[in-house]
Amino acid sequence: MSRFDRTGLAGAGVLAVAALVALVAPLLIDAEALDVTRVTAGAWQAPGAGHWLGTDHTGRSVALLLAQGTGTSLFVGLTAAILSVGIGTLVGIVSGHFGGLLAGALLRVTDFFLVLPALVLAIALSTVLPRGLGTIVLAIGLTSWPSTARMVRAQTLTIEARPFVERARALGGGHGHVIARHVVPSVVPLVLVNATLAVASAIVAESTLAFLGLGDPTRISWGAMLHQAQLHGAVPQQAWWYLLPPGLAIVVVVLAFTLVGRALEAVVTPKR
Amino acid sequence: MLELKNLSVHYGPKRVVSEVDLTLAPGQTLGLAGESGSGKSTVAMSVLRLLPKAARVQGEILLDGDDVRTMSWGRLRAVRWASASIVFQGAMHSLNPVRRVGDQIAEPMRLHGTRGGVTELLEQVELPREKARAYPHELSGGQRQRVMIAMALACGPRLVIADEPTTALDVVVQAQVLAVLKRLVAEQDLGLLMISHDLSVLAETCDDLAVMHRGEVVERGRTREVIANPRHPHTAALTAAFPVIGDPAHRWAEPAAAPEPLLRVRDLVVDYGRTRAVDGVDLTIGRGEIVALVGQSGSGKTTLARTIMGLRKPSSGRVIFDGAEVARTGKALKAFRRQVQLVLQDPSSALNPRHTVFDAVAEGLRVHGLADDQEALVTAAVERAELRPASLYLEALPHELSGGQQQRVVIAGALVLQPRLLVADEPVASLDASVRGEIVALLLRLRRELGLASLIITHDLGLAWQIADRVAVMHQGKIVEQGSVEQVLLTPAHDYTRALLRAVPQV
Repeated sequence: MSRFDRTGLAGAGVLAVAALVALVAPLLIDAEALDVTRVTAGAWQAPGAGHWLGTDHTGRSVALLLAQGTGTSLFVGLTAAILSVGIGTLVGIVSGHFGGLLAGALLRVTDFFLVLPALVLAIALSTVLPRGLGTIVLAIGLTSWPSTARMVRAQTLTIEARPFVERARALGGGHGHVIARHVVPSVVPLVLVNATLAVASAIVAESTLAFLGLGDPTRISWGAMLHQAQLHGAVPQQAWWYLLPPGLAIVVVVLAFTLVGRALEAVVTPKR
Repeated sequence: MLELKNLSVHYGPKRVVSEVDLTLAPGQTLGLAGESGSGKSTVAMSVLRLLPKAARVQGEILLDGDDVRTMSWGRLRAVRWASASIVFQGAMHSLNPVRRVGDQIAEPMRLHGTRGGVTELLEQVELPREKARAYPHELSGGQRQRVMIAMALACGPRLVIADEPTTALDVVVQAQVLAVLKRLVAEQDLGLLMISHDLSVLAETCDDLAVMHRGEVVERGRTREVIANPRHPHTAALTAAFPVIGDPAHRWAEPAAAPEPLLRVRDLVVDYGRTRAVDGVDLTIGRGEIVALVGQSGSGKTTLARTIMGLRKPSSGRVIFDGAEVARTGKALKAFRRQVQLVLQDPSSALNPRHTVFDAVAEGLRVHGLADDQEALVTAAVERAELRPASLYLEALPHELSGGQQQRVVIAGALVLQPRLLVADEPVASLDASVRGEIVALLLRLRRELGLASLIITHDLGLAWQIADRVAVMHQGKIVEQGSVEQVLLTPAHDYTRALLRAVPQV
């Protein structure tokens, strides 16, 4: 077993645990425990027997918030990544396969998104659109596809230059045939790898937006927790237990996705 | 100067070279012939200890009396290039694309502290001195190969190893490169170890010949004698594979009556931007007729074939198939493509590495929506292409097959649509000598049994002699001469045809 296999498996293990927490937490956690008007514990309590990770400025348990936030972060990360990779793959294949004016236009659009700082664009989008989870997914998805598009286009061009595509054309195969039988199968492994890496960056992007206060205010996410902690003075309170757990959770999950992505990359890259 | 004693090379348990004994004196030229996988390149690389770490080398490799195997690293570095150097195959890949060729030629001189000028070296290989400032992509294939030769001579070695130095070049350029190599060997009293799969190239340059087969030297002697009287069956197969133009024994096509026309090309012009690739071509292919289209690379023959297939739009002119003009788009074009099939030069790249043989052959059926009875049609086509029994091959992936088998799969993929014309672009150029004959025989049998007409595009006049009924010679986008094989190849009328024929190496 190579080094990549082992780290990849470790990453997959972490992700399995995170997914389990995300699914189970909403079922087990009592809504009252997260309701600021009903909590009984005092604010800013240090970790102890009652609250493993202490409480926040309203007396809610940080451990419960963390568990509740897992779902939001993973959901946004996955859907935004799927959206971004989806757009990127479509643009990449279309511009690579058809060429000409269409490709030129698509590439200029890609370049536009590529040179614009994605975060600034996402911030602009999420201030214009109505607040909500959908907006965040859209903002992240719409700003992070250009790199996938470039990569898929390059791969499409490589494949299309191969003689077997010319043979397919000579057999009478049209655009649909060439794309479906030759281009897509060779692009898919690359796209899968790219998707796992895109999830990691989407989670970071979500946290960033939430930390800047642009997230969905009705939902708990790791980024939103950091936003609240900063807003209500966790630093002057020296409440490290409110800052560290969401931060570490982001780091661990992003790392896990990256490790899995790297391992997949090693699997799908043809060996010589 | 060079002495190999009992040389064996293993990769793991696999023995790729076994007990080879060879000697080479200064001024001597030795050709090493063999097919791919025969171990000839491994022998060459072992001389400068250039084999990968996984290789286990046994026996002695004496270079000027020193054993290369046991040399210290420093001594080996001194010996490399200064005593023996290599002209690699495929000059495009062996030259650094982002450095000027002059710097690259000077590199070994700088490393070894040799005195001398790049200009002189370029003059020796008959390149103008300004070319030192060129980048590899600015040079033609023949010029690049001459740069490689200049580089090999940079440190004044006494032994030059040339590994397939002319394989990717067409006949005329090949003749030029071989002439340069021959002259330098004679002038500078070099020892030359030349490796090739092409006996005629070795016959042109080397006095002695060794034939390798499955890691062993099966025959060696004076080149003329070996080729004239091959004793080993493998040598005989190699010599038989290279047809001699004008020899009736090598003329495999049986004479056919003048057929009625199947495909007619009228005044076809194709432009690439400002370059006119095909310039007013008229060409006719009859039913069941095999026409060879010969010419150098860059003569426009491949563009012509692509245009006939409808893969490129002509600037003007007409292609008439079976009495009707070929459509450029839509259903009619698709229907035309069922009738005309393409066979490409390099079968390993003409097959999608992810598709099994079945998928590759059935691709045409799927494209044309002929879904019923796929299995039977594919099996029949694969067996027609002489892969028998078909069940053995259908689930195989391309990389599990040999080059010849891959080419048969490509041919089967064309046959499955029951075409009437086959357009084959260098169908045997990338195949080994022994396989080449089989594929040529297959094409002829298909003509006999199915009445299949072919347009064979090739730079190899020997192939044209072997297989074709008629030959068309293409030069700078124009067909300069066409007629029956005997007429064009034995009594050429045009200067260019004569030049092509002169460039063919004589066995």
